[in-house]
Amino acid sequence: MPYTTYKQYKLRDGTLVTDSIKVPKTSDHHDIYIPFVADNTDYQEYLKWVAEGNTADAAD
Amino acid sequence: MSTLKVNAINAATSGQAVAVDISNPRSFRNLIINGSYQINQRGNLTGIGGDSVYTLDRWLFGRENGSNSTRWSISQTTLAKTDLPYTAGHRNCMKLDCTTSSSNSGSNDTSYITQRIEGFNCSHLDWGNSGAKTLTLSFYAKTDGSTGVMCLSAFASKHYIKEVTLSNSWQKFTVEIDGNTADEIPHSNAQGLQLMFVLHSGSDHEASAGSWEAGFKASTSNQVNFGSSTSNNIYIAGVQLEVGSYATDFEHRTYGDELARCQRYYQAQTDYHHICVNNGESDRWIRFMKPMRAAPTVTTSPTNSVSFAAQNQQKEGFAGNGSGGGSANFNLEWTASAEL
Repeated sequence: MPYTTYKQYKLRDGTLVTDSIKVPKTSDHHDIYIPFVADNTDYQEYLKWVAEGNTADAAD
Repeated sequence: MSTLKVNAINAATSGQAVAVDISNPRSFRNLIINGSYQINQRGNLTGIGGDSVYTLDRWLFGRENGSNSTRWSISQTTLAKTDLPYTAGHRNCMKLDCTTSSSNSGSNDTSYITQRIEGFNCSHLDWGNSGAKTLTLSFYAKTDGSTGVMCLSAFASKHYIKEVTLSNSWQKFTVEIDGNTADEIPHSNAQGLQLMFVLHSGSDHEASAGSWEAGFKASTSNQVNFGSSTSNNIYIAGVQLEVGSYATDFEHRTYGDELARCQRYYQAQTDYHHICVNNGESDRWIRFMKPMRAAPTVTTSPTNSVSFAAQNQQKEGFAGNGSGGGSANFNLEWTASAEL
């Protein structure tokens, strides 16, 4: 699984602090769920991506 | 009880003094996890080079900046009986096979194989203090193609570079890393120390060997671009990083012990986990085989056109909620990654 920033993030349900950020399935990987947890390195990468001005897709 | 008193202990054949360090315990001395490359939960990977990717357990293919088009296949490879590491008890090595070459390395482009060591496991190094302990790295390596200098870079707030010279034959290398007296390693579950085997490096990341340097410094100017030819295969085996100025024999741990250490960072349910649907309800709490370093990133792969969303990830497990599959039972594969 890639360590660096994914190309697309999607909020699964952004209202819950225990929820996950979803990286929708592609040909390279299955559905990925990143927790809102500070010491998760994928979440740290997501925060960098947001700080660069990007925004995750809205939840379904 | 009798007491043994001697002035020196010498090796039987060479006559050289043998280091006996009672204060430096023999067990649990290798800071590297999966240094013998026994564990490969993700399987072998191809086309690596565009992004940083975890490969054999605990080993990350790292990439900094740049747009180098070099690509690698990275695999767990079986050693032959005639290979030098085999004679030291190793049966596997990591093979890096350059599948797409590029002779142009941008000035800010660097790629490397690295292991990030958790801060909790580094506190006894006493770095950031005057008594910062020296480390000794030992490993085996060879290349099938281009020979020459491969740099090693240790990173803990600053970088410390050393050179080794690869040839087409297996060699055992021993490298000493001075303790870092300036920068303390946080006692936490975050990254503490990083060890890098450099594959190629641009001039922006060059520095002198043998001193702690600020900034991202991966190599000296002598570094060979091992991504310059598809004839290049690099093999690494038996990696050990330990406190002191003396390389002891490799600490062979049991397969189960090594796997358990790896599972703190990555776990996979590769045999299907069967989920029974009851009245359309398929919510489950899935417990990990071992608590993880942090709440992990989870991937799910269910059968029967079900979507199985992971939520509420904890170090101990995660909740899952299936949908879209009707009343049919389904099977689930999942992975959990809490890598550094």
